[in-house]
Formats: sequence, structure tokens, C-alpha cells
Amino acid sequence: MKRYAALTAVDSVNLRIPRGTCYALLGPNGAGKTTLSKMIAAVLPRDGGQMEVLGFDPWIEQSEVKARLGVVMQSEVFDEDLDVRRNLEIYGGFFGLRGAAFQKKIQELLKFVQLEGRDDDAVQALSGGMRRRLMIARALLNDPELLVLDEPTTGLDPQVRHAMWGTLRQLKQRGLTILLTTHYMEEAAQLADRVGILFKGKLIAEDAPRNLISEHLPPWVLEFDASGHEETLVALGAETLAERHGDRAFVFHRDEAALRRWVGEKAFGAAVVRSTSLEDVFLKLTGRTLDE
Amino acid sequence: MSDAAPARRAPSKAVRLRAVWYRHWKVYSKFIVANATPAVLEPTFFLLAVGFGLGRYIHREFNGLEYDAYMAPALLAMTSMYTAAFEASYGTFIRLRYQKAYEGMLATPLTRHDIFTGELLWCGSKGLLFSSIVALVLLAFGHLRTPWAVLVPAIGFLNSIVFAGISYLVTSWVKNINHFQFYFTIGLTPLGLLSGLVFPVRELPYGLEYAAYATPLFHTIETFRLVVSGPAHTSVAWAWACPLVLVTMAIVLGALGVRRMKGRLKA
Repeated sequence: MKRYAALTAVDSVNLRIPRGTCYALLGPNGAGKTTLSKMIAAVLPRDGGQMEVLGFDPWIEQSEVKARLGVVMQSEVFDEDLDVRRNLEIYGGFFGLRGAAFQKKIQELLKFVQLEGRDDDAVQALSGGMRRRLMIARALLNDPELLVLDEPTTGLDPQVRHAMWGTLRQLKQRGLTILLTTHYMEEAAQLADRVGILFKGKLIAEDAPRNLISEHLPPWVLEFDASGHEETLVALGAETLAERHGDRAFVFHRDEAALRRWVGEKAFGAAVVRSTSLEDVFLKLTGRTLDE
Repeated sequence: MSDAAPARRAPSKAVRLRAVWYRHWKVYSKFIVANATPAVLEPTFFLLAVGFGLGRYIHREFNGLEYDAYMAPALLAMTSMYTAAFEASYGTFIRLRYQKAYEGMLATPLTRHDIFTGELLWCGSKGLLFSSIVALVLLAFGHLRTPWAVLVPAIGFLNSIVFAGISYLVTSWVKNINHFQFYFTIGLTPLGLLSGLVFPVRELPYGLEYAAYATPLFHTIETFRLVVSGPAHTSVAWAWACPLVLVTMAIVLGALGVRRMKGRLKA
């Protein structure tokens, strides 16, 4: 639990992350994702409740926990005037890492994140995508047992984001336990074994991405422009699950053909029939979109 | 990243403090020539100006010395005071608020205590370095009059710890970087005047002499006078006690400052 003056940022969150799995905390801005990940990463103290990370209480045994963790926070903190290698050396120094084996490790990781040969470049000369990759490399210097990533792809363009997903998937295959926070549904669906939806500091749903959808909604959805179709929506709502969020109407059904038939019968504007996504689950559970 | 990741252990306190110190050294030494040039040139110009200029109009002795020789130990105190004060105010505030450097450090085995204690030691090291450079300038001008002057770097270190500690107290409280102007203009500048920088404290009016004894800088300046000019040229007869006060203040103010900054970073 984490309280600020008048706000309880994280409350009644109960989650377990088995080793070797990837867990995604999904939620809108302000849901408490960052606060929770900082508590797990032993960066913020908590005001109540119990927490065990890799067998340690993260606040009481901060250094022990942090020695075994790789952390990629939202703010990209580098010593901008220094070159790539020096930045990694300094960061490794905080873990007590030095010497020839460590230099080899640096080279290995630069290769892994495709920054080979960039050793002598000043960090301030790197592009946004490169900086993010350097953050990943930096978080892996100490061979972490758990990698914590707070919105690792926010603000990246789609190409870079997909490359980042590829990198994280490789790490997962190597057996690394990963906790990531995100407000991208696709990111959670692509990477995570389990997804927890965090809303107003509470974990309101948790399961494998596919189960999360099937538990809460039928597999198909018809989405259309709701204006002028209020009565139709009410009528359809009697037969199935229909919701309206802003200008868009959503009608959920287990039968795709039925939805397509309705599209043919009614003159819906900008109608589309698609499979139900995590975003729909999120909308249903919280009554709001992720971008708000 | 290897398949069977070894169980890492947290590095020892000494290793962590050294790592913080090393970070500051590397960032600073990248531009060492630019950074250290003022430390050499400012006292040189000052001694030239006083020795060949102003000093010629001052026909009296200060603590039994010519005016430039009287000023020389005080230059060591000012240098080590300002270098630490700037580092632990503007420097620390920029790292805290703008660079977010401490956020990055907190994601590693470093604790808040490590971060600020390591930085405090770095401030002390800067004081050591700068006072050593100024001491070489003083040597060139013939102002180092006793062999005890080898202690100058250690005294510079202690004085920088004192002023880094005081600056931490200010930084832990300041909300806006511009407010440091008050600290320097209303705090440190008059402090220099009060502490026997430009004339002996016993010549202060209205009993301000006793206020001077309560300031940290006075004790530093007297300690420098002891080792640079010799016991015959101090401002007070009990100057031998000043090094003890200096050591005590370094420990107390350093620890208090670190403690306050730990709290500031917690929010």
C-alpha cells in the first residue's frame, strides 16, 4: 500500500509473479503502475501490507533486492556528457562490478541491444530508440533475476516498439522473470503470460490475456458510430451486451455471423466487426479508455 | 543474461560509496581543465592585485604580516568553501530536479544514505584538490611559512565537508533553484567578512567578534593560519583549538546534511 497526503496510490494489490514468467500491469495514467513498480524495485517505501521480492522484503533489504534486479524506469537517466561505455561502467560500479569479466559483459550486452561499436559515442548523440536499448543493456549488467520495466515503450515509434518487444521476448526465452507496466493493450497481449489490470490503485482483474477476455466478454464485437442509433442500441442491448463509450457503440456477441448480419440490416456509420480485445475488457471493467 | 544467473550479492558500503564518488569524479574530470583553471587563476590574480596594487597602500601589519601574506590562508578557506557550496547546492539541486540522476542511482543497490554520503565525500575531495592547487600558488608567492602546510589538503577536505553539509541543509529546503542566490549573497558572502577573511575578527565592532567565533568559517581560517603562517600569526590566542572545532563541525554538519537530503529524496 502506498499513501500520499490525500491519495492512496496503491491499495489492496495482491499479486504473485512466478519465476520465468512475464507479468504485465495494465492501467491508465495515474492508476498506480509506476508507484507499484517502484515499490517492487525497492525505490519507494510502502505504507502498509506485505511484499516479498526474490525472497526479500524490498524496503528492509533494499540493497540485497536491488543487487538482483534490473530496472528500466520511465526517466532516462544518463550522464549525458560521458560516452556509452563510461555510463555502463559507472552504473556497473554501483553493483560492485568491475574488471575484465565485466568489460566482456559490457561488450556482450552492447551487441545484444545492437549498439555494438557505439562504446565511444556520447550518450547525448544517441537516438531515442538507441537510448532505450542502452537502458535495457544497463539493466542487464548485473545478470538480474527479475527485470522491472516501467512503460518501456511509451513515446517510441512503432518500429522501435516492435524491436523492443523482440528484445524482451528473447529475454523471456532465456528464463528471465519480467514485470512490465504499460498502457498499451497490445504490449500486454504480446508479451505477458499474465496481465493484471490496475485501476485507481486496485487490481481489478488478473489472468492470462486470453482468459481475461473470455472471462469478461463474448469473443466478437461490433463497433460503430453511436450517434442516431440510440434506439437500435437499446434494442440490441436487450439481446446481447451493448455499451456506449463516447461516440462509439460496442455490441458484444459470441456469434460473429449475427454481428455481420446486423451490420447488413442497419445503416451503422463506420461499423467494424472484430474479435474482442483486452481494450474492450478494460473499457468494460473501468468504464473509461486507457488514454483518458 | 546467462541462462543460470548467479545470485548477486549487494556490494559492501565501502564499494558503494566509492562507486558514487567515482561517478562524480568521472563526470567532473571530463572537463577538468576548464573546471580547475579558475582555482589556479583566481587566487593568482588576487595575490598579484593585493601584492602589487592594494597592498602598497596599506601601511600596517595584520597579525604581524604584510596584507597579502595575511590574506593568503583565507584564500584557501574561501576556495574550499565555495567549491563545496556550489557542488552541494546548485550541483545537487540540478541532479535532483533536472537530471534526475538520483532516480537512476536508486534503481541500483545504492541507498539514499550511500548517494549523499558518497557525494559529500566527493565535495570534500574537490575541496582537497582545490586547496592543494591554491597552496601551490601560495608556495610560488612564498606564503607557505611552515612545514605544517602539508596539512592544507586535509583542512581543505574538512572545510568542504562542513560547507557541503550546510549546503545540503539549504538544498533540502529550497524549492526553486533561484533561491540559492539568497544563500550565497545573504549567507556566505557576509560570512566571509565576519570570519576574519579581510581583517582580523578582533577589529569587528559591537562585539561581532563573538559572533565570528560561532561561525564555521572562522575556525577554518584560523586552522589554515596555524599551518600556513604559523602560530605567531593567528587572530586569537586559542587558535590551537580551532582544528578540533573544525573536525567536530565536519562530522556533525556532514551527518545532518546527509540526513536531511535523504528525507528530501524520499518523497
